[in-house]
Amino acid sequence: MNVLEFIPSCMLVVLLGVLLRRGAYKILPFFFTYVLFAVAADIARFMVRDHPHPYYITYYATEASYDVLGVLVMYEVLRAVLGNLIHGRWGRCIFPAILLASILLSVARSHAAPTQFTRRVAFYILVGEIAVRFAQVFIFAGLVTLVPLLGLRWRQYPFGVATGFGLYATVSLLTTTAFSDFGTRFTFLWGVTSLVAYSLTVIIWIWFFSAPQKSGIPTPEVSALSPGDLKKYKDALRRMR
Amino acid sequence: MFSIVFTWLMVAWGALSCIYMLRCAWRRFPHRDVDDVIPFLYPVDISLAESLLDPAAEFEFRWKLGPQQFRQAQRKRMRLYLELTRRMSHNSKVLVEYAVAAKGSSDPDRVILASTLQEKAIEVRLYSLLTGIKLRLWLLLRTDLFHMAPVLAHLRTTGEIDGLQTYTALKSAATAVFVQFPPDILDSLTRNL
Repeated sequence: MNVLEFIPSCMLVVLLGVLLRRGAYKILPFFFTYVLFAVAADIARFMVRDHPHPYYITYYATEASYDVLGVLVMYEVLRAVLGNLIHGRWGRCIFPAILLASILLSVARSHAAPTQFTRRVAFYILVGEIAVRFAQVFIFAGLVTLVPLLGLRWRQYPFGVATGFGLYATVSLLTTTAFSDFGTRFTFLWGVTSLVAYSLTVIIWIWFFSAPQKSGIPTPEVSALSPGDLKKYKDALRRMR
Repeated sequence: MFSIVFTWLMVAWGALSCIYMLRCAWRRFPHRDVDDVIPFLYPVDISLAESLLDPAAEFEFRWKLGPQQFRQAQRKRMRLYLELTRRMSHNSKVLVEYAVAAKGSSDPDRVILASTLQEKAIEVRLYSLLTGIKLRLWLLLRTDLFHMAPVLAHLRTTGEIDGLQTYTALKSAATAVFVQFPPDILDSLTRNL
């Protein structure tokens, strides 16, 4: 089990290499920061693993940072996929509305099934983590719903990021909801399922970023049409009107 | 209880989305080339759409016809505009698929033009989907029976998208992409769009 725990960390290093090769820090800077942070957090946790108190502090500090970065990455994904649509009056409300709904759901859940935390900070970090998972499922599932409706292209980096987070968040919500009935066996089941889900998530990210992607940002510098093409273009527009 | 039910719904939605993405990866995106575009387009009469959304024309109908006749005429006009939005939606879907394929071109100009086409097509699709939902609701709920005959002119802009203006921009974007093809192809495009 101990050896298996290092598999996602090793894959994260591979992913970091792939992201650097594709120049992902320019396209999705928050996601790149997230992966960089994940590698650093794994190293930090590994270094303090034999000291309970520092490990506790490192664990919750990194979890809190994961929550904040997770929110930023999902905003980046939404902005990248929806493009100009997010700048409208309604478009601007989408992300705050998702975030608010997620926080409310997470708080409602914590009241429905109270946790056994003695420290308030740890409790708030856990509530925040579940809220981020809700937001990730919301955004991932929402974007996937838009694929057939709007004809969006699914094989693009932001969709890859959303799919990875969406899968992990779905499994995470499933395990915390369903496996709590298993009692003491829950810890083991949760550990195994999370490990497999996180490994799959990193594989998804590596797969999406393994293919080069052309920049989808249109620039105004299009070469001028030839006089013949320009005439054809004007004639065609005139006929359409 | 509500939060648990909602969590299960979210898990189900997330799981279905994962299955859909897996299906997409298996089947790949439909690769449309130029031969798969023009025969698949349905002509949209923009002047007819303009007249349906014209508030003056609607006012004239309201003025000339009795309440019952106006309600009947308005339902007919709603069905007609629904048909036009269906065509817009279909055409934009075809053009999105073509634009996605064209974005794989090695010519950077072509990629930029295809990106613009894709952007406009997505806007038209969003407009036509939202407008279609509104129109279907109006027709289903028979709002006209309660002396609340819907005003068709309000449908010109939905979700902050001016439908006809965006569709015209889509036509221009499509023409720009197709301008380098032989004239007969461009002619067919202008007729069918």
